[in-house]
Amino acid sequence: MAMAAAATSASFALAKLLSSPKIKQPISLLAPHKKTNSIFSSSASFTPFPLKFHHSKPLNFSTTGAPKISATISSGDKLPDATLSYFDSSDELKTVSVSELTTNKKAILFAVPGAFTPTCSQKHLPGFVEKAGELKAKGMDTIACISVNDAFVMKAWKKDLNIGDEVLLLSDGNGDFTKAIGCELDLSDKPIGLGVRSRRYAMYVEDGVVKILNLEEGGAFNVSSAEDMLKAL
Amino acid sequence: MAPIAVGDSIPDGTLAYFDEQDQLQSVSIHSLAAGKKVILFAVPGAFTPTCSMKHVPGFIDRADELKSKGVDEILCISVNDPFVMKAWAKTYPDNKHVKFLADGSASYTKALGLELDLSEKGLGTRSRRFALLVEDLKVKVANVEAGGEFTVSSAEVILKAL
Repeated sequence: MAMAAAATSASFALAKLLSSPKIKQPISLLAPHKKTNSIFSSSASFTPFPLKFHHSKPLNFSTTGAPKISATISSGDKLPDATLSYFDSSDELKTVSVSELTTNKKAILFAVPGAFTPTCSQKHLPGFVEKAGELKAKGMDTIACISVNDAFVMKAWKKDLNIGDEVLLLSDGNGDFTKAIGCELDLSDKPIGLGVRSRRYAMYVEDGVVKILNLEEGGAFNVSSAEDMLKAL
Repeated sequence: MAPIAVGDSIPDGTLAYFDEQDQLQSVSIHSLAAGKKVILFAVPGAFTPTCSMKHVPGFIDRADELKSKGVDEILCISVNDPFVMKAWAKTYPDNKHVKFLADGSASYTKALGLELDLSEKGLGTRSRRFALLVEDLKVKVANVEAGGEFTVSSAEVILKAL
């Protein structure tokens, strides 16, 4: 029943957007690749310069077409596909799709509002690193942490917390996946300058379908810990 | 916004940083720069190779020389949040003078007209690499890189201009 409701509200939201006269600039929260709030309507957009990283061929993150406006994901939904990035052990910039991570697999995906932020660094991520062994013993193939931070920052964060292979740290750099599952957290109006991030959550995904979803309000840390996931599995 | 140029006055804006007591502070650019000689340099991203291994160290290493030539402040800006800037600054334990300031929502970068769309790289909107020499809010030198290069925006180049 929840799935039908979610689908209905998703299509309502979509219908509403499509029926509005000027969809050229959707509301800033859902606008692609923008982290600022809408008062900065300056339209100066530089064409992307070829920025040469040491390691990689140019990676293309652009999604086709307009941004997807999504109702928040719920248990029973199939995860939308998206591209996440990370640096591998030889410092190569790599991408992985959500479908590669989850098809025919049992995966724990959890998200944090920000790398290097207190709760994320001191509790949420370490909790999963600590419990990784137990989670894998329960049949998990993948444990991945997602954040709307770039892959360089995720790599530095991983190093800072001395994390090995137990948990993958994946960058949702443009927030595409986060927006596709309707879990964005708009922190743009805070003076701290965090832009649009992800709400904190932890989910158990089986063959691409969300089986358990523990989604927090904003950055709270009540239901999305590793312990919570272990109990629920 | 057209890119800032020599002769312009720099706009005011608020940037964030964590102080020595780990308290989040925000600071207005004008309060740091009015009546002073400051260098404002920017990098596309904290923890990225060129920024971390060349651009920032250049300013850290030359900071004493720059100060001896009358520079009051050396400010490093990036479109990153202050948590990330704090973690990045910590990787430079020998740094004495460079202040790491977060332009998390790119608002100041946009006010300078120096934003760079790196969405295709999964980086969103960032800052172009640049170094400005600003005297009492007036831009005296504006060395802005065309793309991701690292040529005119280094500490050496600014030093020669002083």
